[in-house]
Amino acid sequence: MRERNGRIQRALGLCGTIALAAGLASAAEPKIKTFAAGLNYENLSRTVVWTGDTSPSKIQANLISARADLGLGKGVVVSLSAGLSLSNYKALVFDTLPISLQFGGATVSGFLLGAEVVAPIKRFSDFELGGTGRFVYSMGLSKTWPLEDFAVEGEARGRAGWWEAAVGPRLSYLFFGRVVPYVELCFRWLRADFKMTETLGDLGGTELKLVRGDLSFSAALGADAAVTDRISVKAKAAILPYVGGVDGLISVGVLYKF
Amino acid sequence: MIIPFERLPKTTATLLIVLYAALGSGDPSLPQRQKRVVRSVPRQTRQFRIERPVAVRRASRYASNRVLVRFRPDVLEAYADGLLRSYGFPAVRRIPEIGVYSVDTAPGVSVGETLAMLRRNGDIELARPDYRARLADIPNDAYFLNYQYNLRNLGGYLDVSPEIRPLMTAGADVKATTAWDVAQGDAETIIAIVDTGVDRTHPDLANKIVSAGHDFANDDDDATDDHWHGTHVAGVAAANTNNGIGIAGVARNCRILPVKVTDANGDGYYSWIIDGIIWAANQGADVINLSLGGDVDDPMLEDACKYAHDKGAVVVAAAGNDGVGMVLYPAAYDDYVLAVAASDYNDAIADFSSFGPQVDVAAPGVWILGPAPQWYVGDGYLPYLFASGTSAAAPHVSGMAALIRSAKPDLPVDDIMKVIRYTADDINRALFPGRDDHAGYGRINMTKGLVPYILK
Repeated sequence: MRERNGRIQRALGLCGTIALAAGLASAAEPKIKTFAAGLNYENLSRTVVWTGDTSPSKIQANLISARADLGLGKGVVVSLSAGLSLSNYKALVFDTLPISLQFGGATVSGFLLGAEVVAPIKRFSDFELGGTGRFVYSMGLSKTWPLEDFAVEGEARGRAGWWEAAVGPRLSYLFFGRVVPYVELCFRWLRADFKMTETLGDLGGTELKLVRGDLSFSAALGADAAVTDRISVKAKAAILPYVGGVDGLISVGVLYKF
Repeated sequence: MIIPFERLPKTTATLLIVLYAALGSGDPSLPQRQKRVVRSVPRQTRQFRIERPVAVRRASRYASNRVLVRFRPDVLEAYADGLLRSYGFPAVRRIPEIGVYSVDTAPGVSVGETLAMLRRNGDIELARPDYRARLADIPNDAYFLNYQYNLRNLGGYLDVSPEIRPLMTAGADVKATTAWDVAQGDAETIIAIVDTGVDRTHPDLANKIVSAGHDFANDDDDATDDHWHGTHVAGVAAANTNNGIGIAGVARNCRILPVKVTDANGDGYYSWIIDGIIWAANQGADVINLSLGGDVDDPMLEDACKYAHDKGAVVVAAAGNDGVGMVLYPAAYDDYVLAVAASDYNDAIADFSSFGPQVDVAAPGVWILGPAPQWYVGDGYLPYLFASGTSAAAPHVSGMAALIRSAKPDLPVDDIMKVIRYTADDINRALFPGRDDHAGYGRINMTKGLVPYILK
């Protein structure tokens, strides 16, 4: 039942993202002032506590995506992205399976869909206060590991997914013209699920781990730089403090303006 | 390191040797020896003590005055009670959980005549002798130091005595220490030791005992050990660990429920064992250790094992010490019981270990140190002894089962049994690759069964 709910929520999230992006793009189509496309790389780490666990573990993800930025005028930019995610669920333990499984250095690949909106709200001299909202969904692909050195043959099959929504204010400094540094504060909400199925001869089991909603806060320093009239670079580094440590996020994108 | 010990009076040794010879033994080359460990180390003399091997058949294979009866499922209880009374049996006792009657034969009427009479009645499904079981242990005949290679074997020589110093193979153990890093068990997990009883005052067991237990041999609520076997088995399974004295038990933090089903000689009847198994299951035992067994297949004994299994207990039993191709009952009840063979300090299967298709796994069963009642070893000796046999092997498996149950309380019994089987090391793969009748799936590996497998 829980698994079904997770699937429904993921599907709704995905539909929402697509609908939002399509809606925005469609509504904005006649109003699109600028269009840029390029590649984006993001490295994200997030410390979470999965259901049934008493200690936290990390989700580390490398996200590579194709990105399209649609300028809608008045500084509003909608970004749509699609690509590949490589997620490492470091130290995650599936402890209710007959043979407990623990993630070492394994990565789980998946498809990535994302949407982001940046909108200016008010300008004060060289500063501009804006808002940003972002949704990223990593739909994990199934991965199989052989279970070796047992008396019978076996394998573990895992499928993981997560989505994150973030929203917060952004303060940009416009003084430099072609380079716009900014500070961004965001509340970030993450949900994740990981279904692991183990088969060892006629012994088997399935465990579903969930992060039902992990709320975090990030402070980011970033910059959008117009390298030429057509090529721009977007970079961002963020910290996500939590009790006992700090997670991080680094994002770099290169865009070509059409 | 060698333990010094005192010399026993020659008369005692002579008496015991005579007793041993009179009772008979199987293969005298078998390591049927038992050692006592002295409390102090001032002298360097040594004395081997020879004990009667418990695997020896000494009397009738079944009780001379009792049979076990089961009626057809459609026969009402009241009718069955009345029918048995009408035969004039002096005592009839019902085991309600499995619908079996323990019936004392009428004076002057043999078991055979009674069975023949009962079997003529169409309402009776089964009428069987009350078979005798025996402990699956092989006593030692020498003393030596507290040396638990069975839990962690670093190799080198096992100093049994100056004459007996086998070279051990490092790693020929159950991998307990690394498993303990992640699982030491909890006090809520109960291992029932269905055996000769347990010495509840033993310093390495006293605070691990759940209750006084039950004595089915004497029909009272005091399962105190009047032999030594059950105390030894209990200690191997779950002796108090990290307390600065004695030995470590496999299931360090789990507790022990004593159930006495044999008399002071170590002999018990199937009916006592059936009662013991059912009583332990009803008490909520998570694991039931049966370091004993009999030659005869009896569906009523199997029913008791099934009852315990279905009630959620992992039932573990010794395969037997006859070194023949026949696994003892109840170990041979493959669907409900884990049958345990004995391996040694080199991961070789002990030559006394019985074999057959029902053998599930092996565990160390040669020169295993465990606690013993102080009265048994005598004043001036440490209350520990070394023993060999599948009896000593079985509690390793029971301990592992208890640790798994502690760590994964929702894991079904059958899955626990499979985890124990499938994580075993195939120690005799050179001769018999894969599962075989001697080691089963292999010598248990606690680390593989309890420590998470790393996905890379």
